[in-house]
Amino acid sequence: MRAPVTKILLGFVLALVVTMCAPLASAQTAPAAFGPSAQSQAAPPAFSGPAPHAAPLQAKGPFGSLLTWIAQTQQTMQRKLAATVKDLKSGNALVAGFWLAWGSFVYGIVHAAGPGHGKAIISSYVLANEETVRRGILISFLAAAVQGLMAVALVGVLVIAINGTGFQVNAWVAHLETASYALVFVVGFLLLVSALRRLWRRWTAAGSGHSYDAHAHAHAHAHAHAHAHAHAHAHHHHDHRHEDCEACGHIVDVRDIAGPMSWKKVLAVVFAVGIRPCSGAVLVLIFALAQGLFWAGVAATFAMAFGTAITVSVLATLALGSRQLALAADGQNASWVEAVWTVCAIGGALLVMTIGLLLFLTSLGPARPF
Amino acid sequence: MPNWSLNGPQIVLIIALIGSLASGLPKGADAHPHVWATVRSEVVFGPENKITGIKQAWTFDEFYSAMAVQGLDANGDGVYTKEELEELAKVNVDSLQEFDYFTFVREAGDESFLPLKGPEDYWVEYGDTVLTLHFTLPLKTPIDPGAKGVTIDVYDPSFFVAFGFAEKNPVTVGGMAPGCTAKVDAPDAESAEAAKALSEAFFSQLGANSNYGSQFAQTALVKCEPR
Repeated sequence: MRAPVTKILLGFVLALVVTMCAPLASAQTAPAAFGPSAQSQAAPPAFSGPAPHAAPLQAKGPFGSLLTWIAQTQQTMQRKLAATVKDLKSGNALVAGFWLAWGSFVYGIVHAAGPGHGKAIISSYVLANEETVRRGILISFLAAAVQGLMAVALVGVLVIAINGTGFQVNAWVAHLETASYALVFVVGFLLLVSALRRLWRRWTAAGSGHSYDAHAHAHAHAHAHAHAHAHAHAHHHHDHRHEDCEACGHIVDVRDIAGPMSWKKVLAVVFAVGIRPCSGAVLVLIFALAQGLFWAGVAATFAMAFGTAITVSVLATLALGSRQLALAADGQNASWVEAVWTVCAIGGALLVMTIGLLLFLTSLGPARPF
Repeated sequence: MPNWSLNGPQIVLIIALIGSLASGLPKGADAHPHVWATVRSEVVFGPENKITGIKQAWTFDEFYSAMAVQGLDANGDGVYTKEELEELAKVNVDSLQEFDYFTFVREAGDESFLPLKGPEDYWVEYGDTVLTLHFTLPLKTPIDPGAKGVTIDVYDPSFFVAFGFAEKNPVTVGGMAPGCTAKVDAPDAESAEAAKALSEAFFSQLGANSNYGSQFAQTALVKCEPR
């Protein structure tokens, strides 16, 4: 597993560097999509004059100052991003390019820190599965990369290829969101079914005369292998089972409740989360395109995805860390360890299902005006 | 059945684990804004110092603006005319109906909203990379705000759109209205209404009908001196 993670990380950074650097030379001369100034309409007397400046947002209540800070930070960042894209045309392209990458990266980190989106799903998913921190990070990065690619593909096809309208882009984003949430629900449901099946098998086996510990000691290894093959998970993922605790087979065996890792499962969750393009990235891409600097939008998208992936990775790691902490609380007690794994497997699966369902139902609501 | 005998601390830990799992639930569909809009409102007065409607001008952020006008420059001359943007204006105001036009008019201190009629005189303009949506919302029944006043809130309960009043001239008085004033109230953290809005927001965050955005609502107060 180590190799793919490193490769994907490297690929991410490389793609970022290439997109940032390649067009620098041509940035100054890039043609604008629109003429120098769009002619404005005759404004009514009440609202004449230049575009208004918004007063800073203010939130009420006990958490008001925190919410105010979050909202204002986001607004400031978004304005900075827009200004930076414009600077690429008029100012120093190298400096502006650097700020665009940095700004998008930070925007990605902060944007993902807000509630919702992939991180709750991915955190719950890794909790429900027998995932390691490394795989949690891998899943986070893959999902963010797919989201970024989807945004670029969507804008590339709808806007560049067929010169579609903003309505069409919005509609497609909405369709893909709905599809993504439905798939998340399905992934959660399948997780739950397989966790319950494994649990049922354990219980019926344990109930057939042997004491639980004796059974586990006797069959720990055979069980692990048989399981892996039965599900055609053609990976040598079971080797790490032996690393920390060869002697206590009953505890290693208990991990089976959560189910072994497989590429099929990883790709399922990456696809379910990732087919929904990041809406922030879609906006940046279209704005950059309108400024005649599509490449800047692409670079910003991947810098943003990189930032998002980091936030999601941290949260997924925290989820796994809290499971580890819970396991360590009484690591010698087989029934405790089994209880923790059971709660994680079933609770995580239920969470993935619930989040998918809630978001799916919300996405069926009336179309947003903006 | 495996032996599931657990001691006290272990049960506490299990509960803590479930709690931390549940805290991962999405807090509302989108509790961070994707669109920013700067609001300028004109309170339109008719005869007898009665408010007949609210004239709105919402200027959107550059990202959303670029998205909204994408593909609408029909003749490709780089200029977005009122005619080219007519469809956009229509789609916007039509879909705004589902969201009560994000405009909430009340008699000061009253709970219920005053009913609004569908928008009139709507159009959008695009210039200097920002889009502005103009429309007028007539009140079903014109009302005299009197000394007590009428409040106008503009906000998106789900906070998908972050509305904020303009820094300069956020609310103006239009028409014949001697002795009438309109101003934006600064949010008051101590007020009972704010606390209520917050508790409502907290609980409704968990569902689809999020009210998170109400915490960011700014209120314009319109008052008239007795004649």
